[in-house]
Amino acid sequence: MGNKTKRPFTRNILIFDNIKSECDKIVSKLRDDVYHRLHRTGGVIGISGGIDSSVTLALSVLAFGSEKLLGVMLPEKDSSSDSAKYAQKLADKFGVKAITENITAALQGFNCYTRRDEAVKKVFPEYNPSNHKMKIGIRNSGLLTNLPPVFSVTIIDENGNEQTKRLPVNEFRQIEAASNFKQRCRMSMLYYHAECLHYAVIGTPNKHEVEQGFFVKYGDGGADVMPIGHLYKTQVYQLANFLGIPQEIIDRTPTTDTYSAEQTQEEFFYQLPFQQMDLLWYAYENNYLPEEIAPVMEIKAEHIKSIFTNFNRKFKTTEYLRMAPIRD
Amino acid sequence: MSNLSDAKEKLKKFIAETSFKSIDKIQDDSMIFRDGIFDSMGLMTLITFLEENFQIQVQDTELIEENFESVNAIFRYLEKKSSN
Repeated sequence: MGNKTKRPFTRNILIFDNIKSECDKIVSKLRDDVYHRLHRTGGVIGISGGIDSSVTLALSVLAFGSEKLLGVMLPEKDSSSDSAKYAQKLADKFGVKAITENITAALQGFNCYTRRDEAVKKVFPEYNPSNHKMKIGIRNSGLLTNLPPVFSVTIIDENGNEQTKRLPVNEFRQIEAASNFKQRCRMSMLYYHAECLHYAVIGTPNKHEVEQGFFVKYGDGGADVMPIGHLYKTQVYQLANFLGIPQEIIDRTPTTDTYSAEQTQEEFFYQLPFQQMDLLWYAYENNYLPEEIAPVMEIKAEHIKSIFTNFNRKFKTTEYLRMAPIRD
Repeated sequence: MSNLSDAKEKLKKFIAETSFKSIDKIQDDSMIFRDGIFDSMGLMTLITFLEENFQIQVQDTELIEENFESVNAIFRYLEKKSSN
């Protein structure tokens, strides 16, 4: 974890004083990485209409020019139609060629939906994917206790009636493993286009996704370079405003866009609004004491201590995701 | 609950096998989650283990540190469940 010189902790500690200079640094490094380290001539980006892929695309336009980029929309049958609408709007604004590759048939080939639905039916025998939507989420908030969270599955019928049950471990693993086909299919398709064009795959995860393990190994975690992988979400939003990302994209609530029922990233994984998450994670990795930041965050020091314990567990238990194959 | 007498040993064996720790490292008062022996998957696996081996249903409201933080805590929880 970081060991930078400690600055007084304030709510603005993550805001870039000179956003243009930060942007130039990222762009220059991205250009250098792709041309001189990866020896590729441009970039392919999966665009979802979300804030992270939008900022990544805008930075890539500055690094390579729009003519050396390809945006790929990768919807499947559970995707929100908003995703394609906003992704297209983004591509149009930045003059980037965008294509759509619908991965539903590929996922059906893997039996992604059948395998997922089989596990859901073990918990809810009445579940019928043609008239129920489903999602998984965290059952108990693990942030203020030393017990980690457990997961639940929710089904929603056509009248909006919701039922939620805690997931047994095997069913959770099956739903997660089946759903991960989605990100891995997208990665395969991005590499297809990247190899055809001799481009690099530009990954879109931000710092939280990388460090807390909110990505699929060899799925959205499979890319050649991740230009915003070191940025907090606050900084991603600051860049979005600076780069002129369409306001509708900036205003969207980040979702997982993975299950048929809509689900925010906060509900599924983070359990905290990103503004708080950013500041607490910064404090955690820079060794600020809970007592030092409690008055600024207006959170009790004992709660901050529990949150730090949870951060530590998340970082450690997701190390497997960040590990390269072991060779020696 | 007839098999409660050997519950602690069964629990320790399960925790050791699941976490790849040596069984002598799992003490009655080891803090299973605070010390990083188990994570989320560990807790979910533990719940399934308890439900299958001790014929109980773990309720969501019971998922608190007091019931799960250590072997002692889980044993007390099992005793409480068996007396209900």
